[in-house]
Order: sequence, then structure tokens, then C-alpha cells
Amino acid sequence: MAVVIKTVNLTKRYGTLVALSNLNLEIEEGDCFGFIGPNGAGKSTTIKILATLLQPTWGEARVCDYVVGYQSRQIRPLIGYVPDYFGAYEDMVVQEYLEFFAAAYGINGLARNKIVNDVLELTDMAYKRDAPVDGLSRGMKQRLSVGRVLLHDPKVLLLDEPAGNLDPRARIEMRELLKELQRRDKTILISSHILPELADLCNKVGVIEQGELLYSGPVSEIVKRAKTGTLLHVAVAENQEAAAALLSQDPSVLNIAGNNAHLEISLKEGITDYSFIPHMLIEAGYKLTMLKEEEVNLETAFMRLTKGMVQ
Amino acid sequence: MLGIAEYFWRLIPANPILLRVVQMNGKRRRDLFIRCIYLGLLIGVVVFAIATGNYDVGNLADLAKTSAGLFQYLSYFQLGLVALLAPVFTAGAITQERDSQTYDILLATPLTNGQIVLGSLLSRLFFVIALLISGIPVFSITQIFGGVAISSIVQAFGIAAATAFITGAIAMAIAVFKVGSRRTIFSFYLFVVAYVVGLYFLDQIPYFKISILNPNTNTYELSKTSWFTGLQPFLALRTIFHDKAYIPPALGDLPKNLQSWPIGSLLSNPAGFYTGFMFFLSFVLISPSMVFLRRLAQSNTSLRTWIFQKLRIGRGDRTRKPRTVWQNPIAWREAKTKGSASRATLLRYAFIGLGLAGAVVLVWMFATLETPKYPHFIDRSSLSVDGNLLTVYDSTGGAPVTLKLLPDTQYMLNGKQVKDINSLSGHLMVQISPQSVQKDEAGNEIGWLSINASDAPRRLGMSQTRTALLALTMLEFAVILLIVTNAAASTVTREKEDGTLDLLLTTPITSRYYIWGKLRGLVSFALPLVAVPVASVAIFIAYDIYRSTILEWHNGDFKWIVFPEAVIVLPAMLIIVVAFAAILGMQMSLRSRKTVVAVMSSVGIVAGLCAGLGWCGTQFLGMHDSGYVGLSAASFSPFSLLMMMIDPWQYAPNAFSDPDTSGPRLVIFIFTVIAVAAYTVVVWSMYRSMVKNFDMTIRRQSR
Repeated sequence: MAVVIKTVNLTKRYGTLVALSNLNLEIEEGDCFGFIGPNGAGKSTTIKILATLLQPTWGEARVCDYVVGYQSRQIRPLIGYVPDYFGAYEDMVVQEYLEFFAAAYGINGLARNKIVNDVLELTDMAYKRDAPVDGLSRGMKQRLSVGRVLLHDPKVLLLDEPAGNLDPRARIEMRELLKELQRRDKTILISSHILPELADLCNKVGVIEQGELLYSGPVSEIVKRAKTGTLLHVAVAENQEAAAALLSQDPSVLNIAGNNAHLEISLKEGITDYSFIPHMLIEAGYKLTMLKEEEVNLETAFMRLTKGMVQ
Repeated sequence: MLGIAEYFWRLIPANPILLRVVQMNGKRRRDLFIRCIYLGLLIGVVVFAIATGNYDVGNLADLAKTSAGLFQYLSYFQLGLVALLAPVFTAGAITQERDSQTYDILLATPLTNGQIVLGSLLSRLFFVIALLISGIPVFSITQIFGGVAISSIVQAFGIAAATAFITGAIAMAIAVFKVGSRRTIFSFYLFVVAYVVGLYFLDQIPYFKISILNPNTNTYELSKTSWFTGLQPFLALRTIFHDKAYIPPALGDLPKNLQSWPIGSLLSNPAGFYTGFMFFLSFVLISPSMVFLRRLAQSNTSLRTWIFQKLRIGRGDRTRKPRTVWQNPIAWREAKTKGSASRATLLRYAFIGLGLAGAVVLVWMFATLETPKYPHFIDRSSLSVDGNLLTVYDSTGGAPVTLKLLPDTQYMLNGKQVKDINSLSGHLMVQISPQSVQKDEAGNEIGWLSINASDAPRRLGMSQTRTALLALTMLEFAVILLIVTNAAASTVTREKEDGTLDLLLTTPITSRYYIWGKLRGLVSFALPLVAVPVASVAIFIAYDIYRSTILEWHNGDFKWIVFPEAVIVLPAMLIIVVAFAAILGMQMSLRSRKTVVAVMSSVGIVAGLCAGLGWCGTQFLGMHDSGYVGLSAASFSPFSLLMMMIDPWQYAPNAFSDPDTSGPRLVIFIFTVIAVAAYTVVVWSMYRSMVKNFDMTIRRQSR
């Protein structure tokens, strides 16, 4: 696969504040790359540099092999940028808004009409073509934003928090739209705080904190790396403390923490078979009401990674 | 009692909003810097006046006269600054409700409505008031030489302070009653300018002066001041200088029905009335805000919406058919979607309609003659003299009179002898005097020895027409300049604020394409507006051509209302100055982050430049020995060019003292062409510089 986005030692400073520090990133063609990090981590700065809106202080950023800054003019027709806000023009209706940006990309005449109609259909906004853009709901505005960047059929989509502040229904609709774009072989760089959805959408993620890239790679890999051992949630009908004392005698058990509701049992590193636990409890006469292994998902991985728990 | 004292103590001296601003602003280096510049300029005015004054150091009367002149300069300068700065500092209040997150927090504190309203008002005026106070020591210099009463200084400060307060109070009232938006800031500025300029011109019209009986001659004379003197700060200020050309009538000289208060005070003491009335009006404006602030803040609807709802004028379905976007989308947006299109279009057509209607009304008033008060007049048809008989009509309804003409009858028109009956034309008043009749021995009428005729007065005299047309075109052009400067100054900053600029910068649109598109769109937007003063002038030229060839063919000393070359030089000059204002506004818009800052600074610069150039031009024109140098210098300002095209005998009397005007007109034409070329070079250079620095400037602002 060809590398579409590449940054080498990308650094951005605002005065004394370091927004990005030696960021090295590679995104291949067709990837859907989720960019995650706490607020102020440098996600938007990275996306803005790739969108040719900012110049890096140091280092290099390339999009489709064109260098940002030197070859920005060649980059612009290849990208579609959706910021974390909706840039609404006053006194424009939806169709005018799309036609305005189509003209900005040099699309004119009959081709413009056709493309605008196609985009309105794709984003399911055809019935809103005569509505003023500043009166649209937030979800509609985000759909229109995505529609805007599809007008010139870009190779790369740079989406900065496209689902931020949306209600659940609008978020689901947005996710479906992005999946459709993924099926159309777009390379997508998306930043978001809604990690379960990113895990569902993206094949790769990058985790950034304080301007430094902590991880970049497949989603499955980060989950694997975040999984430090097996953690079990166990509950018995009565006499929970005695059950804890019984299980702690087993050499496979590393630690037992508990509360009134259930016990949290950590097994020693490398031990993944926990079938001995129900056996021990049932043989000792306890009524087992719950036995569940804690899942490690992207959210957990992110929390551990940004706390420095995963290296 | 103590409670009331505490209330007032907390209202202003211990008002936390005001205290914060006083403490913060006192320490700001920027404010100190501005105060130093202000004082430096004031001192500069003092030094200039003393250095250039023509006085004898040993002569106390001379020194007092110089001191009085210095006081005039300082007072005008101070008031001009207040008129310029007060709207800048107070206009921000209009949108504070929407822009500032702290406003809601303030409303949630135990602060009273009065504390919030007065705190906001005074904190916005603090800087202007601090400037006024810092100027007191400079004003006191005038006391060293005498010639200026302390009461005059107090009055000058009172007028300046009242101007600042009323400006702030209007802005606060708009903010509290939610009748404004960001666009209102500009309208507010426009209103202040239109008010000051409009009242100044209305003050010149004799209709608004007061007829006062002169006891010496027992005739009625028009007063020097007018009904508007006490309502306009600069006119009110002028009355305190004891200028003989502008002395208000004494209360006792006014007609009895105008002596009662407050009319008597307005007409006889304009300065005192202005100060008192404006402070009173400020109080009236902010009082409801102090009572209803929280109730209004809780309301979801603005006053305008509420009125619309009550009147059942709903906005209805807001959807509409899309318009076709041009190939250059930037130009399309500038030309078609500036603000709310329907409102902007309505205002634009209203401006065009009113401007043209004004010009047509002026032409009509100039073209029509008042019904002669003297009963007899010659109709055009009378000139087809039947043999030796001349029919003279009676405007009072009496029967026409037939006058017998003799071969040696003398014909007089406006006191000058003309060669024959054909030299009398139109609605001329005819004086029928028995001495002019030649009779035979039997007393029968043989014929008339002389026919004395004079022009019937026009509804609007020539000089009044010139003044009115000049006022109309200057006001129109001032409004156009402000509209274009505002549109240009907000064009980039608004895109920065709403985030659309970033979207555009990620498209293949280049900086050249972007700026050219903006400029093209702004010019498309402004051209119909510029056409209004040009059309006003063209209407008069067309009428003048008709008047010169048909109506006044007998009249050797025909004078144009507007020189016909104006149809060439005026559009060229007005369009290039509008382009200059547009490019300057765009430059400020590019450099500023906030629309308010860009608009206020651009409007300030454009207004300052035009006023400065216009002032220099009129000063040059007024100099006795300036000659053609004055004309050439005045050609560089659109306003002084309008003066020279419309009323040169008033504003450039020296250059136009000769009946043959071709020389000075040629000079004006040539130098206007040079001025247009110079403006074009400046505009082009600024455009190139903007294109070159666009990326760098925008990126520097990106965060």
C-alpha cells in the first residue's frame, strides 16, 4: 500500500508552547486512521498542518508525496478538510453553499449541478436544498460539512471531531456516512473523543498526548498491548470475604480486591486459564452468581496509554 | 438615609465593574501611550497656534486674541476626538450581550441593575473621560494670555462630555433592549456621522433660521443660528466662541411665541441647551435599562421580534430558491450575500430611490418659478407679439393687460437694458408704472416708453440649489464610503470569526483569486450606490443644457449649476476613492482578528483621510493667493472636487473671479485626472502587497 500521509519529526510551536513535538506518522492508502488524545494534545494542529492551514515550525509533512508548505497548491485538490466547527455563511441556502464550494474547486456548468445533486443524495439532504444553512441542526450541519468535502472527490479526508456535540441519532448517521466513504476507498484521518465508535470505524489509530505520539498502529495491536493481565469479576451469593480468602490461596492469583457487590481477581502474568475458580468455589459450597473477564477495549487502552501505563 | 447613601456609593464610586476598569486601564501601557499621543497632539496644536499667530508680544489685546483662537482650535480638536472615539469605545456594548460570556455571570451576581448598567456605561466611557481630564492642563494655557472666559472652557468640556455620554447611552439602550446585532455597530457609527453631517447642512438652509425683527431698520432678518444649532455638538460649540457670523439671538429678540422654555433656551443658548439636553436624554435612555435589565435579559425574544409578533408580521417559511453561483464564488458572495440579502437589497434600493428622488425634487424646485407676487407677468406666448401689442397677464386672477409698444420702447431685464422684446422670456414679472406710458395731448395712451421686467424668483434660488445639491451629493458619498469601508473591513474578519476562511484556504483558491474576487464583489456591490451622486449631478447637467439652450438663450452670463465635465471627472474620482476605501478596509480586515476592530479602524482612517484632504483642499481654495495651486490641491479630495464642480464661486472665489471659467476648469480637469491616476497606483500597490503578504498574514494569525 502506498503511504498517503507522512510526517517526519513534525514540530509546531506557538511561542514557548510546544503543540507538536517530533511527530512521525504514516497513513497508508485506504486506511481509516483514528487520531485520539486528550484536549490540547495536538490533534487539531496536526490536521491543520496537513490541511495546509498551518506551517510546521520544524519537520516535514507530506500528503500524497507533496510537501506541505512548498507544494500546498498541489495538495489542496487532493484533500477534504472538515474542521471541528461548522463554517456557516449568512444568507446561503444548502444548495448555494455546496455550489459555492464546488465553484471554489473549479467545478462549473452542468458538472456542478450533477455533483451537487449527487452529494445531496449521498448525504441524504436533498430535501433540505432550499433551507438556509445557518438554520440547520448541528447534525445536519455536520452532514453538510462532510458533503462539502466530497464535491471534488478528494483522495484524503481530514476530519476533526466530526461527531463532536452530536446527539446519538446524528452520531449513528454520521458513522454510517463515514463507513460509506470508507467503502469508496477514501483515506480518512479522523480525530474523535468517542472511542467506541472509532474502534468500530478505524483500522488504525494514533494516540497523542502533549504533542507526542505515544502509539500508532492497528487497533487490535493497541488493545493487545494494553492488556497487562487477566482481571476477573466474581460474585457469590453469600460470605464473599471467606470466598476471597479461599481463592487467594491459589498460586495463580496475584491480587484480590473487593467490594460488597463483587470481587476483582487479578491473575499472575501469563495465566489465561481461569477454570479453576468456579471449580474451587462450587466444591467449597459457594453459589457462584457472576464470573466475567474484563474486556480491554480502545477506551481502556487509551486511558492506560495516556497515563503512561503502556509503553 | 444611610441606605440611600450606600446605594449611591455602590452605584458609582464603589461599582466593582467600574473599579476593575479604572484599576486595569490605569496600568495599561497601551492606554498610557494613547494618552501621551493625545496630549502631544494638543500641545502640538498650542505650539502651532502660538508659532504661526500674528501678534505683538507686548500687546495684551493681540495676545488675548491669539489665546481665543488657540482655545477654538483646542476645543474643536477635543470635540472631534470625542466624536470619533466615543462611538468606537461604546459601540462594543451593542453586542456584549451576545459576545461576552461574562454578561450572564454578572446578571447572576447580587449586583443591582443600576450597578451593571452604569458600570458598563462608565467603564466604556472611562477612557474617553480620562482623555478629557488629561487635557485640562493644556486648556489652562489659554488663561495665561486672557481672552477666554473660564465659563467658555467649562462649556467646551460640557459639550464634549455630553457628546460622549449620549453616545454611550444610545449604545447601552440598544444592547439592553436587544434591538441590535453585530451589523448594528456599523449602523450606529453611520447614524452618528449622518447626524453630525446632516444637521450641519440643515443648519445652512435659511428655512430653518429664525426671522427676527431688527428694531433699527424695522425689517425682519434671519438669525445666524438655526433650530439645529443646539442639537449638534460642533454648531453648539461654535456659539461659545463669540463669532460674529454665528451669534445666537438674545432671548428677548426672539418672537414672543418662541421665548418660552425649552424653545427659548434652544434658540438663545444652544451650548447650554445641548449640554443639558444630552445629559437629560442620556438619563432617559438608560433609566429603563436600569429598571428592566434583568427582565429583558430573561426574555428570549428581542424587542424587534416582540413588535413583529404583536403586529403579526411573521417571518414565515424561511426556505427560498437557490441563486446561481458565479464562476468566481468569492465575488458572488461579496456581491450577493452581504448581510441579510433582503435587508441589504431593501436598504440599497431605498438609498438609490431617496438619492434620485432628492435630486429630482431639487431640479423641480430650481426649475419651477414661484407665482409672481407682483401681479403682472409675461407668458411665453406673449412674445408672439401681435403687431405692437404685448399681453401682460395677471397672476392674481385679473384680466390681462395689453401694452402698446413703440419703435423706441426700451426693454429692461433685471435692471439691464436688452435689445428687443424677444430678450424677455418665460415667467417674467413686469413692472407697470404710469411714468412709462407716453400719452398724446388728449391723454390717450400712445404706447409704452419702457418695459421693466425681472426674473420671477425660483422656488429654490441658484445659490440655495447649489448648497442643497452639494450637501446631498456629499452626504450620499460619505454614506457610500462608510458602507463600502464597513463591507470591506468586515469581509475577511467575519470569515475568520465564523471559520469559513479556513475552509476556503483548503481549496485551490489562490490569494490573488481570493482578494481579486473580494474586490470585484465589493465594486459590484458599490457601483449602483456610486451611480446615485453621479446621476444626481447628471440630472442637473441635463437640465442646465436645456436651460442654457432653450430657456436662457437671451442671458449672456449663464452660470452652470454643475459644470458639465463633472460627468467625466466625478465618476472617475468617486469610483477610485471607493476602491481605495475598499482596499484599505480589506487591508485592515486582513490584519485584524476582530470585525469591530477592523471596521472601527478602517472607518476612522477613511473618515480622517477624507476630512483631512477635504479640509486641506478647502483651506487652499480659500487662500487669496493660492490661485491654481489651490485648485490643483483640492482636486485630490472627492469632497473638495464636488465643491469645485458644484459651487466654485462660493468655495474658490479667487480662482473663479473671472467671468471666463475655462482656465480654472481645465486645471481642475487635468489635476483630477492626475489624482485619479495617483489613487489607482496606490490601490494597485496595496492590492499587490495584500496578494504578496496574504498567506504570511493569515498564517501568523492562525492558532
